[in-house]
Order: sequence, then structure tokens, then C-alpha cells
Amino acid sequence: MKVFLAALLVATVVAVGVSLLLNTIQRPSYAAFTAEGVRVGDPGNNLVGPNWNGTVI
Amino acid sequence: MPSSFSTLKALCAAFALLSVLGHPAAAQLSFKPTAEAVQEDKLLNALKEGDKITGRITIPDAMAASLIQPAGRDWRDFQRSKLPIIGGIAIIGMFALLAIFLMVRGRIRVHRGFSGAKILRFASFERFTHWLTASCFVVLALSGLNISFGRILILPLFGPEAFATMSGYAKLAHDFLAFPFMLGLVIMFLIWIKDNIPGKIDLQWLKQGGGILFKDQHPPARRFNAGQKGIFWIVIIGGALMSVSGWFLLFPYLPANVTALQFWTVIHAVIAMLFIAAMMAHIYIGSIGMEGAFDAMGTGEVDLNWAREHHSLWVEEEQAKGQAPSGSAPRAMPAE
Repeated sequence: MKVFLAALLVATVVAVGVSLLLNTIQRPSYAAFTAEGVRVGDPGNNLVGPNWNGTVI
Repeated sequence: MPSSFSTLKALCAAFALLSVLGHPAAAQLSFKPTAEAVQEDKLLNALKEGDKITGRITIPDAMAASLIQPAGRDWRDFQRSKLPIIGGIAIIGMFALLAIFLMVRGRIRVHRGFSGAKILRFASFERFTHWLTASCFVVLALSGLNISFGRILILPLFGPEAFATMSGYAKLAHDFLAFPFMLGLVIMFLIWIKDNIPGKIDLQWLKQGGGILFKDQHPPARRFNAGQKGIFWIVIIGGALMSVSGWFLLFPYLPANVTALQFWTVIHAVIAMLFIAAMMAHIYIGSIGMEGAFDAMGTGEVDLNWAREHHSLWVEEEQAKGQAPSGSAPRAMPAE
């Protein structure tokens, strides 16, 4: 049981560690793809609008 | 044109494109609309042939240069129609097969009964590596199946808000547990490769159906029998394919174009279905399918009679090293 719990703990630590690392070295796409000729703003979180009913077109 | 042919054509186009990934100039396709050249019939002909319509862009995302990519429809059709069939046959089929096997063959018992004497099968680090990989695999498999089939199967059960919240966390788990999974795969390969090289004894084991088809048949085997070696290589090769394809999906700016990205999603999805089916068989035999098997990864120690019946040559090797009880081990008698 101890070995199993240790494996779960290490998996969690590695996953969280990688997420923190990637967050520091990566930029969001709207920041990475902004150029002098085009400014791409933060698109926000709700990309379908508040009135979307879940229908897939 | 039959949809199966167009899918095959799309995958073939993906393979062809991958072969010229190092030569972006060659990868530019044949039809580029200009002010003089654009006529509706030329565009339609280009689209019919499965060609891409590309243009000149100034934004840094090179993939945005593709305006229309007809192969994308084949990819979408594959995801929506063929992939569920592959997944259904593999996963539901394996479940049915295992259920029938359990009903017909029953649980594989230790013929001579448990002796009470133990032999160390897996050390702590080996069990740690197995559970690191296996626990990540289970979460990856469930979250991955949710990505492919969740909207059809799970959303109607939970409703859109709960499904969206669950899927958001499942996606995060899928993305980041991939890394400890890959770590476990590498360690597993390094510590167990030497015991998983196929040999002549494995042919003999396979000819006897591994001893699991009929009662009282116990073909000799070393530390890992042919079935376990098969599982090892399925995990290593399948895991490697999942890792490589998954890497391109985690970092989608790495593939040269969207067709390559579609190719890797197809690989990732198809291998996942087959991988999950194979692991279902592994989980079955290691738990309810075979009496005494789970102890190997649970406590690390297995019963001596179990080991003699399923890995007789390995027991002899361990006894020769002085790492196992010697002598016969009859059925343990209850105290009177």
C-alpha cells in the first residue's frame, strides 16, 4: 500500500512540477502570435457567448 | 468517392507530407490563387483533388496560411464515424471476451493450493514503477476516452455544466499526467528489458496456450512468460507511440502543418483504443482472472506453489541463488 501511495504522490508531484515549468517557459498563443503588423488580444474564456445553448452546428 | 477511400487518401497525404517535412518549399502545394488566376472552376478542381488552398500571411502562426483543407473533412469523418467503431470493437469486444472467458474457464486456481511459503517476486522499486505507470494510465485512459466519446456518452448523463467542469479537469489531468506516465515507461523499460527478451521457451509456452486454456497445464516459464513479455512490449511500443503522438498534440506548433497534426491525432486515438483493450486483459488476469497473481504487485511476495506452477524455471533460478525456500511445498494444512 505504501508503494502504491508513493507512486500516486510522485505522479502528482511530477505532473504539478511540469505544469509549473511549462507555465513559466510558455506564453499564451495570443501573446506568442502577436506581431508588429497584427495585435491579438486576450480572447477571454467565453468564446461562444452567454446565449449559447450547447448546440453543435 | 467512397468515404473510406478518401480517408485512406487523407492518411496517405499525411504520410507523404511527413516525408517532406524537412523541405517546406517542396511542401507548398500546387494551387495558389492570385489576382489573375482565381477562377471558380480552378478553385473547385483544386478542392476536389484534395489539394489545399494556401495563401501568404504575415502573422507568425504558419499553419494559418492554409485557407481551406478538404482532407480535414475526412479527418472529422474518421473521428466521428470510424474511430467509435474501432473503439467499440476493441474495448467492448475485449470486455465481452473476458466475461466469456471467466464464465467458461473460471478463475485460474493454484492447483496444489497455497503452501504458505513466500518468494519475493517484485522489489519495492519495481512495484513503485508499475503503479506509477499504471495509475497514470488509468486516468489517461478515462480522460482520453472522455475526449473521444464523452460528449456522446457522458454529457447526456451529467448535463452540460457538470460535464464541462469535469472535462476541463480531465483535460488538465490528461495533459500533465502524461509526463509521469512517460517517466514510468522509461524506468520500466530499463529495469525489465533484460527479462523480456523473447526466447525458445516462449514458443513452447504459447503452444500450450500458456496453460490457461485447460486446467492442470503448467508450461515452464522464467521470470516473465510469453504473455507477460507480450504485455511488456505492447506497453513499451504502444506507450512510445502514445508519447510521441501526444507530444505533438501537447505542442501543436511543432508539426509542420495541420495535416501532420491530424495524422498524429489519428495515431493517438487508434493506438489508445488498442492499448486500453490490451490493458483490460492485463488487469483481468492480474486481479480476478488468476488466484494469487495480484500479490506479485500488491505485496511483492507470491506463494511458492503459485510460483512453481506459473514460473517454474524462475523458482529454480531463485532457489539456486538462495533467494527462495527450497524443497517441496505441499498444500498448507489448517491447524486442528
